[in-house]
Amino acid sequence: MAAPNCWRCLARPSQRLLAPTSTSSSLAVPVTTATFSTSARLAKKEGGGLSSHVRTGKKLVLGRKKKQDPGKPVLPGERKAFRKRIQLSNDNALEVPGLAQVTAATLVDPAAAGKIVGLPDALIDQLRTVEAFKPTQNWGLFRSPHMLVRQETVDLIKDMTDKVQKKQTVRTVITGERGSGKSILGLQVLSAGLLNKWVVINIPEAQELSTAHTDYSPIPKSEMFSHPTYILKLMQAIYSANKDILSKLQVGLEHIHLPFSVPRSMSLAALANATKEPDFAWPTFHALWQELLLPGRPPIMFNLDGLSHMMRVSDYRNPAFELIHCHDLALLRLFADALGGKTQFPNGAAITGVMTKGNCPKLPSVDMALEQAAAAQAGTEIPARDPFYRKYDDRVFDALKGVSVFNVKGVSKPEARALMEYWAASGVLRMRVDEKNVSEKWTLAGSGVLGEMERASLYVVRL
Amino acid sequence: MVFIMSVNFHPRKLVKKTLETFYGLGAQTSARIMAKYSIHPLARLETVPPKTITSLTAELSTMTIDNDARRLVQDNIQRLRDMGTYRGRRHAMGLPVRGQKTRNQIVTARKLNILERGGGDRPMGS
Repeated sequence: MAAPNCWRCLARPSQRLLAPTSTSSSLAVPVTTATFSTSARLAKKEGGGLSSHVRTGKKLVLGRKKKQDPGKPVLPGERKAFRKRIQLSNDNALEVPGLAQVTAATLVDPAAAGKIVGLPDALIDQLRTVEAFKPTQNWGLFRSPHMLVRQETVDLIKDMTDKVQKKQTVRTVITGERGSGKSILGLQVLSAGLLNKWVVINIPEAQELSTAHTDYSPIPKSEMFSHPTYILKLMQAIYSANKDILSKLQVGLEHIHLPFSVPRSMSLAALANATKEPDFAWPTFHALWQELLLPGRPPIMFNLDGLSHMMRVSDYRNPAFELIHCHDLALLRLFADALGGKTQFPNGAAITGVMTKGNCPKLPSVDMALEQAAAAQAGTEIPARDPFYRKYDDRVFDALKGVSVFNVKGVSKPEARALMEYWAASGVLRMRVDEKNVSEKWTLAGSGVLGEMERASLYVVRL
Repeated sequence: MVFIMSVNFHPRKLVKKTLETFYGLGAQTSARIMAKYSIHPLARLETVPPKTITSLTAELSTMTIDNDARRLVQDNIQRLRDMGTYRGRRHAMGLPVRGQKTRNQIVTARKLNILERGGGDRPMGS
């Protein structure tokens, strides 16, 4: 007997609901529909009430993602503050007993070369206000700040203090390989200045002034531009670092161009602290500088780190939309004149420019000027400029005319040993400090380049 | 809040970005205006003295920017349309104007070639 439905409809009964093929037979239809109706599934769904999906149990069900509380949003400037924070102590590090504190005599004593000395608290505060510590230096690994007095330190600072005491001007450029300790030497120079009670002015990063990241304004009746906010900050730093010296000095000149009255009884500290107005920052700073240049004042120490950044055309533009040369920015012009010997210092001065090598623009003029200065210092033949290079900057040559170039090299092995013993005593270096290990690290660091020695020894524990 | 050209801006907004919100004023012009008033490229409105803000507004009001600039472009397109030129028609249809193929890749034309080019006028005080 043939079925009333076609074989295809038997095979797929649901099709029959969609397209009924035969209505002639009423006999077979109820049977097939009853067997294959969806009502059974519906009933099951109502009874179970769990998951409606056909593939229940075969599906991978992950736990629902928990929404985390995003917390407080990061405030403007917070990330930068974290990046630039300077940590000078670490309670987890061991205290190293038996180390002397640095004094003005230590830094010029040849016997102290190769020794580790601690920084007294007052000096730390002063160095912190003049921003001598840098975020890239590993002060945060140790219990309290200590530094290695190198042979170079003693040579440089002894020469400097001797000459300044004779009221001469010492103009130095500290250069050397990347990581060789130029900035630390700059810090030691600053410490010497602070301990000798000189008036210390420090520009911690010349890059901040030349990359157009801080505000500037034209100085009326001059072709120069000033950095009002930066100069206010700098004057605050000068005030707090040199408060003791400046408060004993009285104003000696008439400053009628200043917007506030400056009586003769006013101290220089009060003058440095006199204004909070960005408009008057440069005139006040200039007045303070003029006062410091009067005969009978203490010697001046003027430092700048990142010298190459102030020897180029800055990223600022003048109203005519031309780029401004860094030496047309008043504060940098002041330093360039001092370094180039244009400014006369009747009381003696130490002007130090520290080169940077890790982050350094390529400047053939600076290289050539320093080569020439080094040759003149050594008494050898002065190299000539490349006749086929047109872009030499004469202002750079003027600013570096007659400077003494101080080349920082790697430390000697005894110095490296003293340093490693200090590291080991602080608990950051976990190895025997003997001839072999010292020699190994010293060699690994390219004949004792300090930054490389730190990389080879300390970066295991650095966070 | 800082008002420039009677438009309200947040004080934390960069001066460069503020200037470039005006239609017809781009990177080149904003850099030149900022150099003219000695404002550094990363300056925010809060650091600019009120005197300079006033001069900025005065400077901008002499320039053909924003609604004026928009209307200028729209008028040019409208003129082509009114004359019944091919370019005017292509603008009205949102199709490429300068003889490009239209088989594919005419997204820019669809976006730009319209009678109301540059959007509507900026409402005052926003």
